[in-house]
Amino acid sequence: MASTQTNIAHTSPPPTATTPATTPAATSAAGSLLVSLVPLAPEALETMLANLSLAFAGETVLVATPDAAPQLSSDSPLRLLPYLPTTISASPWTLTASDYLSTYKLAQENRASACVLLGAESQSLHPEAIRALAKSALQTDVTTAHYDLGPREGLVNSAILYPVTRALFGTRPRFPLAIDLGLSLRMAERLATGAQRFTATGQNDAFLWPLSEAATVGYSIAEVNIGPRTLPQPVTPDLNTLLTQIAGSLFADVDAKASFWQRARGVQPPQLINQSAPIDEHPPDVAPMLEAFRFAYTNLHEIWSLVLPPNSLLGLKKLSLMNPENFRMPDNLWARIVYDFILAYRLRTINRGHLLGALTPLYLAWAASHLILLSSGTAPEKHIQDVAVAFETDKPYLVSRWRWPDRFNP
Amino acid sequence: MWQQVELALSQSAHRVLVKLAIFLPALVALLLAIIILTAIGAGLAALVRRMLTAAKFDERLARNAIAPISDWSPANSPTALISRVVFWGCVLIGCFIGISAADAAYPGDSQVSAYIFPYITHSVGAVLLLIAGTVIARFLERSVLIGAVNAKLQYARFLSLGIKWLVLVLTAAMVLDHLQIGGAVVELAFGILFGGIVLTLALAVGLGSRDIVSRSLERSTTFDPIPGDPDYKIPTPTETLRHF
Repeated sequence: MASTQTNIAHTSPPPTATTPATTPAATSAAGSLLVSLVPLAPEALETMLANLSLAFAGETVLVATPDAAPQLSSDSPLRLLPYLPTTISASPWTLTASDYLSTYKLAQENRASACVLLGAESQSLHPEAIRALAKSALQTDVTTAHYDLGPREGLVNSAILYPVTRALFGTRPRFPLAIDLGLSLRMAERLATGAQRFTATGQNDAFLWPLSEAATVGYSIAEVNIGPRTLPQPVTPDLNTLLTQIAGSLFADVDAKASFWQRARGVQPPQLINQSAPIDEHPPDVAPMLEAFRFAYTNLHEIWSLVLPPNSLLGLKKLSLMNPENFRMPDNLWARIVYDFILAYRLRTINRGHLLGALTPLYLAWAASHLILLSSGTAPEKHIQDVAVAFETDKPYLVSRWRWPDRFNP
Repeated sequence: MWQQVELALSQSAHRVLVKLAIFLPALVALLLAIIILTAIGAGLAALVRRMLTAAKFDERLARNAIAPISDWSPANSPTALISRVVFWGCVLIGCFIGISAADAAYPGDSQVSAYIFPYITHSVGAVLLLIAGTVIARFLERSVLIGAVNAKLQYARFLSLGIKWLVLVLTAAMVLDHLQIGGAVVELAFGILFGGIVLTLALAVGLGSRDIVSRSLERSTTFDPIPGDPDYKIPTPTETLRHF
């Protein structure tokens, strides 16, 4: 709790410090909501501003944008705050440490009561969705967006980010790395304090995990369904690099907050979900993923054996021998694998870069298993919730091995 | 006759005893120096470990991702690495002091340390080279193996083993050269082995990558599929897979 009282303004200015270009308009709108935008194309910015005007008709809202702001009519509810980011993000598809830091600095300087951070491609958000996010931001410390994704989208989130965050930190929101967020001022301050640790060492593109941060200090968390939205895709198409970045960041966050999640006892109540879905007429081609897994099994077995217990290795052996049509990775095996990788990350059993690289083929095996299951008529959300429950059920294993890593583990 | 033999034997025994009497204090001085410096090293290492643990050195270093020292450290802890360096540094200093003391215990113009010091220095350098080479070989082997497997290169294991042995052979040659063992034979053997491994790898990668290179060249020259081309496949729904 002590860190929540940290005053960012009192610390030395980070390399990503932003320079507010105008403040008079903001002064007049003190105490209102701040909507922070990431760089957008000129047409996208115009659409976004029009959507914001619709969403906040009759209210005064501060809009921070790093782009050249157009002239707004005098009756517009928007007060633009152009700012100059000193660095260009290498990960514009998601929110990074510098985004959180600049948003909080602007909110603090303009005395905003809450912030809404909207990620790339935010012009595709419906005004109602933005309004719902803003409304929740004024009442809750952290509000994350819930996206309507297709069954073949956001697979890393479904496989690792969501179940791990839910099981360890006892949070319900489905997208821990959501790019549209509502934050109270105190939450924005807390995230900015965390972001400053990264930006001070030049890691401006580091990921932050608002849900685990909020859960650790007992702040309120909410989730808003924002409907369809165009989600930006990473610039780097290399799955291995991205998985290493994101999973590495999550594992480091888990490591840093171990004292909290070992005590946390949050188990989410079951949700009402459709048990079945229409059978896909064009099932995805999972052969390349299965081939990647089998190839890795023959070559990376030695490295996996440093990380995984014999029981998991036996499970992987069975998987490697399965036919493609019957290929199914048990949820508890996947949960155990991820937990063992988190443990190995903490214990530095092998180089962390190697460790996360060795996770990629296993993730592909899970993804293939998930897609095969969906093609048989299982509802995607049902399987994802089942996986999350498996992670919750197996949490005592992680806690036990975290505390006593040298204990016999069959 | 018998008296002369007896005299020669007694003189020999006397000389042996005299040498032993000179050597034993030197040995005791050597052992004492090593033992004392080892004890000091153990104490210093414990102190350093305690101080670094209290300062949460490992956690601070883990947060600072630009310092990869922890990846090279034993017991996966930079604190353990530093404390061990302190300990073994003290032991090494103890060896040097002990040899000096032993040398000083000899009367006259004995210059044992003049021969032993450079060789011990070379030996320590060789051991450090061997350790560094082995660690680097293992690191590169795993890096190449994981990278190649994720890139689905069929010769991933062969490539990683090749890299590993390349580094190990280089290390062995450097160690032997450092110890001045083998001379020109080592250089010749190293040249043949190193060249052989590089040639083998080049052939393997070149032959194995033939399809990849030809596909890459085809892609760069023809952007659109040729109508009626039997190799052209209709894009499958796999392309809509989005991991993020």
